[in-house]
Amino acid sequence: MTYPNPHRMSGPIRRTVALPLAVLAALGVSFAAATPAAAEDAPVGYVRLAHLSPDTPKVDVYVSKLGDSSFKEQIFRHVGYGVMSNYLAVPVGTYGIAMRLEGQAPSVPPTLSTQATVEAGGAYTVAGVGKHAVIGLKVFVDDLTRPPADKSKVRVIQASVGAPILDVGLANGEPIATAVTFSSTTDYQVVEPGLWTLQLKPNGSSDVTTLSANLDGGSVYSLLVLDGPNGLRLQLRADARGGETAPDGGVATGAGGTFSTVNPLAMVGVGLVVVMGLLAIALRMRRMASRRS
Amino acid sequence: MYGYRRRWRRAIYRRFEIAAWLSAVAVVIAVAAVVVQQVPPAGARVEAGTRVGTEASPLYEGAACVFDPCVRPVPSGSPTRLRIRSIEVETALQVLALDAHGKLQPPKSYEQAGWYAEGVVPGDVGAAVVAGHVDSFNGAAVFYDLHTLRSGDAVEIQRGGEWITFRVTTVERYPKDQFPTDKVYRPTPGAELRLITCGGDFDRSLLSYRDNIVVYAIMV
Repeated sequence: MTYPNPHRMSGPIRRTVALPLAVLAALGVSFAAATPAAAEDAPVGYVRLAHLSPDTPKVDVYVSKLGDSSFKEQIFRHVGYGVMSNYLAVPVGTYGIAMRLEGQAPSVPPTLSTQATVEAGGAYTVAGVGKHAVIGLKVFVDDLTRPPADKSKVRVIQASVGAPILDVGLANGEPIATAVTFSSTTDYQVVEPGLWTLQLKPNGSSDVTTLSANLDGGSVYSLLVLDGPNGLRLQLRADARGGETAPDGGVATGAGGTFSTVNPLAMVGVGLVVVMGLLAIALRMRRMASRRS
Repeated sequence: MYGYRRRWRRAIYRRFEIAAWLSAVAVVIAVAAVVVQQVPPAGARVEAGTRVGTEASPLYEGAACVFDPCVRPVPSGSPTRLRIRSIEVETALQVLALDAHGKLQPPKSYEQAGWYAEGVVPGDVGAAVVAGHVDSFNGAAVFYDLHTLRSGDAVEIQRGGEWITFRVTTVERYPKDQFPTDKVYRPTPGAELRLITCGGDFDRSLLSYRDNIVVYAIMV
């Protein structure tokens, strides 16, 4: 008498197992390959506004985000010569900036308008510059990258028409910028941090205007030069601050106790396949066992 | 004669069936045990009520202060506690310093985060730095869920007895050997925060994670 070979899987078992395994293997693979959706970032940049035209009266400034009606239009009223705002943090994107004379209705076409594209971490100064007859809106990109080796950075924003070309330096003779023309800005100059006396001398004049200021290491400054009632009016603005000494690189903040090379989704997918296959086998076995023949 | 074969065959099938059921149960238990350890704790994400500054009303509370020299009073003193409700983190803040190579030392405790005390104080203009461990040698640590933060989540720092609120803008991951120092620690026009922990693959030969996760947030 021959006995069936228990080590050979018979035809019905093979058929029962193969099809569900194939289907569930496909499902398991797609499940394992699913990755969670990336989190939505909302990076910001910084924008400030300035009125740098000496003979232009006060204006109202309108700021809106192009193509994004969820951004409520910002209106800043009664902005006069020499006023430079603080930075406003805004989501990245392209903004429309319009200036109208103080009190004009929004339906009146703006005196000036321009666009500014704000990038992540970027900083921009949007200024009405030049004499009234030739006034324009300029977008200055403020380079707030870290000064090297924890020094300071200073630049000049020249909005004085009374001293149209001037030299700017430190009291020790170190120059910051030379022959700076009206309605322009200079590049940032790196200087040692400390208490400094800044000197401004217009070309063709021996009048020197000074300003004492503390420049902190790791910080970035703009010197705003304006016409005042008694000559030049100076304002030192801290554009951005940072710590005096920044860390170098990242931080070792993990010991690996939760790290595993196993992808939990893959495990669940594979486990699902295996369990389904086993169940299919079990049910098929039950059927076979209760068959009459 | 054939009855013997039939009973024998049925016995085999039944054994297969029992073996299959037991195997299925074993696989389910094994997979569940491993997966439960991997997945972050349930309830770690919280309702939208704790998010600060949604798309509809972004950061323009400050618009009124843009031209006026209005003083936003920031409490004085050192920061003492950190709270991130959306990932159920609340911890005291240790003081962190740089080591001899200028690198920021991590907190000594796995349960507490720390702030870089020679840098910007959280709430002052500039980017303040807070670091915490993602895991210890045998389990999760205080910043285990930091990488799940999303833009709009609130991060709070207690200073001088008051809570200062920051809003997450982006969450980024950098390989440690390409860490953008100048970007992470750049000077900023307003008060900002950087939360740092580890992430990515764990290099067992170096006993260190390959990447750093950096959460950027600004004060609102």
